[in-house]
This record gives sequence, C-alpha cells and structure tokens, in this order.
Amino acid sequence: MSDNAAEVLRFDRVGLSYDDRPVLQDVSFTVQRGETVALLGPSGCGKTTLLNIVAGFLQPSAGVALCNNREIAGPGPDRGVVFQSYALFDWMTVEDNIAFSLRCSGQPRRERREVASRMAALVGLSGFEKSYPYQLSGGMRQRCGLARVLAANPSVMLMDEPFAAVDVQTREALQEEILRIQVATGCTILFVTHSIDEAVFLGHRIFLMNKGRMGAFEEFAVGLPKPRAQAEHRLHVEFLAVRDRVYRALRKSHEDHANHADLTAPAAQEHAA
Amino acid sequence: MTTAALVRRRRRYLLLATLSPFSLLALWVAAVHFGWVRNVLLPGPGAVLAALKDMLTEGYAGISLFIHIGSSMARVGTAFVAGSLLGTAVGLLRGRVGAVDAVWLVPAELVRPVPPLGLIPLFILWFGIGELSKVLLIFVPVFLITMISAQDGARSCGQDVLRAGQTLGASKLQVFTLVILPSALPQIMTGLRVAFGTALSVLVASELLGGDRGLGFIVLDASNFFRTSYVLAGVVLIGFIGLVSDRGLAAVGRRFVHWEGKR
Repeated sequence: MSDNAAEVLRFDRVGLSYDDRPVLQDVSFTVQRGETVALLGPSGCGKTTLLNIVAGFLQPSAGVALCNNREIAGPGPDRGVVFQSYALFDWMTVEDNIAFSLRCSGQPRRERREVASRMAALVGLSGFEKSYPYQLSGGMRQRCGLARVLAANPSVMLMDEPFAAVDVQTREALQEEILRIQVATGCTILFVTHSIDEAVFLGHRIFLMNKGRMGAFEEFAVGLPKPRAQAEHRLHVEFLAVRDRVYRALRKSHEDHANHADLTAPAAQEHAA
Repeated sequence: MTTAALVRRRRRYLLLATLSPFSLLALWVAAVHFGWVRNVLLPGPGAVLAALKDMLTEGYAGISLFIHIGSSMARVGTAFVAGSLLGTAVGLLRGRVGAVDAVWLVPAELVRPVPPLGLIPLFILWFGIGELSKVLLIFVPVFLITMISAQDGARSCGQDVLRAGQTLGASKLQVFTLVILPSALPQIMTGLRVAFGTALSVLVASELLGGDRGLGFIVLDASNFFRTSYVLAGVVLIGFIGLVSDRGLAAVGRRFVHWEGKR
C-alpha cells in the first residue's frame, strides 16, 4: 500500500507551537495519490493549522512534513488551496482567475485561455469565462475557486471548509461536483470540515480531531461503493453506519475532554498556589 | 430596486447637482444687486464674465490666457505625475514591508503638517524661484497624499487573497504586481483625486514664487491691483479645471476599479 510513488503527503511526528504553547504534537499520517481525506472536528481542534502546514503557510516547529517526498518549504502550486472565502481576484475575469497559475509560470496567452476554458467546462462555468467574480453567485464563485486550483494541476488540492459560506442546496450540489471531479481527474484532496455528513460523503478516510488533543486523531475508513459520485450515497447503509460511528466518537471525545477539563482545573489552581 | 426607481433616483441626483451651483450663482447675483457687499470686494457675475472675455481676447499682462493655463497645467501635471507615481510606489512598499515603513514614518509625518506656504522661503533658498521650486512645492503634498492612500490600500489586501496568490505559484514580485497593487487600486484612485485637488490649491501658492505667467500668477497679480473681477475670473478658471479633472479622474477610477463595492 505505501508504495512511495503513490504517497503524496507524509507527516512524521509534526509539532507546532505558538509562543511555546503546543497546538499540534507528534502528528503522523500519510495520504496516497487519488485519496480524499477529511479533517473533521470542532473549531479550535487544530485542523486548519494542520492544513496550513501542508499549504506551507505555517512551518512546523518539530518533525517533518513532506509532499512528494520533499520537505514543504512554503506555499506552492503543487498544493493549491480552495478557501472558504473564495479569495478570488475581483479585478480579473473568471478566465484570468482560473489561469492565474499559468500566468505566473509564464505560459502564453493562448495556452492559458485553452486551459481556462477546459477547467471552466469541468466545473460547470462554461459561458462565464468573461464574467467577473462579483457577477457570480456564491456557488459559482467557489466553482471558479476550484477551477483555479485544478488548472495548476496540483499534487494535492487543499480545501478549508470550502462550502461553509453557501446555502444547503448549493453545498450539496458542490459536494457532488467534487466527487465527480475527483473521479474525472483522479486528484488527491485534503479538506477541512466541521460537518460529519460532508466528511463521510466526500472522504475515503476521516481524521477525527478534537480540542485539547494537540492534533491526535481517530481514523475512520469510509467504504462507500464506487463510483463515489452518487447523490444516493447520502442514504446508503454504509454512509449511515460511518456517520453513526463518527458521531458517537465525536460525542465521546467531547465529553472526555469536558470531564478532563473539569478535573484538571482545580489541580492547576493547586499547582499555582 | 427596480430600474424605474433607479432612474428616478439618478434624475433627482442630477437635478440637485445642477440646482446647487445655480442657487449659489443666484445668491451671488442677489448679493451684488441688492448691495449687500461692496462691489470692489465682490463684483457681480457679469463683471467676472467680462474679465474672462477680456482675458480670452486680450490675454493677461501681455500673455495669452491659454499660455497662462498651459504653464499652470504643465506645473501641476509634472508634479502630479511624478508625485503620484513615486508616492504610490513608496506607499505600496510601506504597506507591505516593515523596514520601508519604519524608514519613511518619521520623515513623512514631520513634513506632512507643514503648509506649502511655509516651504516657500526654504525652496527659494534651495532651488531658486524658477520652475523647479514651483513644481516641487506641488510635488510634496501630492507625494505625501498618494503615499498614504497607497499604503492603506496595500494593507487592506486580505490574507486569503494574498495566500491564494502564493499558493498558485506567484513569485514575490508577481504577488506585488498581480495581487497587492490591484487590490489597493480603490484607495489609490481616491488618493489621486484628493491629490489632484490639493495640487490645484497649492498651484496659487507655488506661483507666489515669482514669474510672469500662470493662473495663480493672474490671481495674485490682479489682487495686488485690486482688480477683483480678474481675481475671481482666475479663481473660477482654477475651480472649473478642478471640477472637470475630478470628474475625469472619478470616471477613470470607476472604469479601472469596476469591482469596488460589488463584492
């Protein structure tokens, strides 16, 4: 299974501290080519921090984070990020947004236009190439954000709660779109979410994290039938079973954390006194 | 809002924008007509119009009005282009590079409160009373204003947009030119409008530095000889140039910064 050529990401005992306060400690995992991994957990569990290390926005203070067997040294087009806020370039057309990475690497205009139109078609934005982001709905903006990352042909696509800002119907449509794109392109995805349903529907594997655990996670495999890109999977018995397991684990770890906090608080006071 | 409501709102806007100057004009006519003010202090619109006509045909102080306008605009234009280019460049850098900001902070803030009139004696000593002094006097406020607006614009670039640029493979220079600069354009455009208005207002002061031509020269020279209608004619010309250029800059701004306020 862990054939090195198929291994896109490897974290080896990664730790990160803010002002000597550890946020992540000894986090290890690998992600294989073509896999979708969900980082699931409540706010403050460190899932976005972990994603930001992969993106190269943050440097780990311990351990190594590798992408394609090379240490991650900063942001790069091999690890494109889809942002919750879309983060589109308002002053550029959809086409120029999508082709931004190609412009940065000095591709000629004709090539850029060709790729942009192919990517726009892939995400269902054909006919909107000359529109500006502010002329699009929220869902269409995020489609543009997806196409922009896909155009760079990344080793892994990173998504930070990508559909948190759109309405429920649009969110479901975009989730199905992601699965379809994943089947079509075979891309590797690492995404952050606080929705159990989203994690189970999209993820091949789920890393369940919780507050105060410094990034330690419980892993769940999702054995939904292939191809994954089917809306009916939301009612599949495996979907419901995994959803149930994850939910219980989340509740349990939440309660443990709460009890733990209750127990340590007086002890800490004693210590201070 | 419906299209009809938008059209009605637009009409009311245009009506008010037209009525306001005409009511001021009416007030002026009334003030002169009913003798509320002495004529030598405030001549009527007719007298000012006559002065304008006289300058158009005969020139002022033996020089064609168009040369006066042209030499003033050359000063303002040179100072504005140089000042805003440099100011914007330094401002953008100050907004993103801590060391550049630290270097410019105290010098810029020391000079900013000094009125242009206060700089005149120094500039005469340093640069003489020629064109250089006049242009530099206008350059200084243009530079300072555009620097601050560009700095503010560069700082307002959102973290996610910046990171999006980096994660798509933009080099440091590309992040600067393709992301930071365009996202600062709304503030830069506003700064340019303020700076151009200020440049025109400093023009009169700059032409205190001597010389025999320019709109500021007309205003100052006419006031020395109590030719108030010519003073007002010069003021009206400067004001008119200010109005037209501001509308022009605003239109250019709307074209270049079409996304502003639409997010």
